[in-house]
Amino acid sequence: MATNPMHQFEVHRIGPEIKLGEIDISFTNASLFMLISSIAILFVFNLGTKKNSTLPSKLQLLAELSYTFVSKMISDTAGSKAKPYFAFIFSLFMFVLFCNMFGMIPYTFTVTSHIIVTFVLAIFIFIGVTIIGFIKHGFGYLKLFVPSGVPVLLLPLIVVIEVISYLSRPISLSVRLFANMMAGHTMMKVFGGFVISLGIVGGWLPLSFSVALTGLEILVAFLQAYVFAILTCIYLNDALNLHH
Amino acid sequence: MSKDTFKTRLEIAKKKLLKKKLYQDNQPASSLGAAFKMSTELVAHVAVGTIIGFILDKTFGTKPWLILIFFFVGVIAGIINVFKSAKKMQK
Repeated sequence: MATNPMHQFEVHRIGPEIKLGEIDISFTNASLFMLISSIAILFVFNLGTKKNSTLPSKLQLLAELSYTFVSKMISDTAGSKAKPYFAFIFSLFMFVLFCNMFGMIPYTFTVTSHIIVTFVLAIFIFIGVTIIGFIKHGFGYLKLFVPSGVPVLLLPLIVVIEVISYLSRPISLSVRLFANMMAGHTMMKVFGGFVISLGIVGGWLPLSFSVALTGLEILVAFLQAYVFAILTCIYLNDALNLHH
Repeated sequence: MSKDTFKTRLEIAKKKLLKKKLYQDNQPASSLGAAFKMSTELVAHVAVGTIIGFILDKTFGTKPWLILIFFFVGVIAGIINVFKSAKKMQK
């Protein structure tokens, strides 16, 4: 039995080694669970939207509820101009949510507990939003770094601060998701280990902690997907409706 | 269930939806989200400031100075950011 709490995060290869030049692109357990999540999303939404009856089935209800949830989130935070980006934010939210939720099943692998996965998602959002901002406003987008009503003497400092806070977006976005998922899963594993080592006498307390933590982790899994999507909306809002 | 009762029920449900706001804001979830947002952003600002200072130090060869300056600028940026989000929340 693996008692190391970090053992669950190990990436290992499944099947043969595939190399593209110097880069290792073999199929790993991380790729497997990304694939499973994507297929599960396609499955739910294809079946859910097949028959659109007035009395919805459970799957249809799920699909419709998540549609309205994301649609309302976008219109609340980024306004009507963000409607064309619905498909992107919806798939982002669903992917992160399904990856987090699949990680809650025992013996599975949590894709989002790896910083490289979340960082790639975040950096693509960051680059995409910056490009959208420059397309919509041209060089006027740089006004984002110069807030109005600041004395000229303070301006250089403020501009540096604004640039730092703009550049910190992908880092805070990725670190938040990764740290929450990894910390939660490690904690669950540690408390699980206590149950075994304390045995039948003292094991009941950590066992009850584990049960409570599982509930908390399911909440965090949903919440982090929500926060990830809503922050994308906020960044998109900054790019689309430039004002200060 | 006959078709008529379903129709009347549908009508009643539609009227109810029109009356009140379709979806209430889930306040606890979004404020917990805001807390998560603030805590990581504070750290991320400091990290980015330090990284910028480190890179500038390497390019200009002014070893300890720029990293020190940008570290504190990052701290200031992080704190200002928390103030901004707090102001937004109070609105």
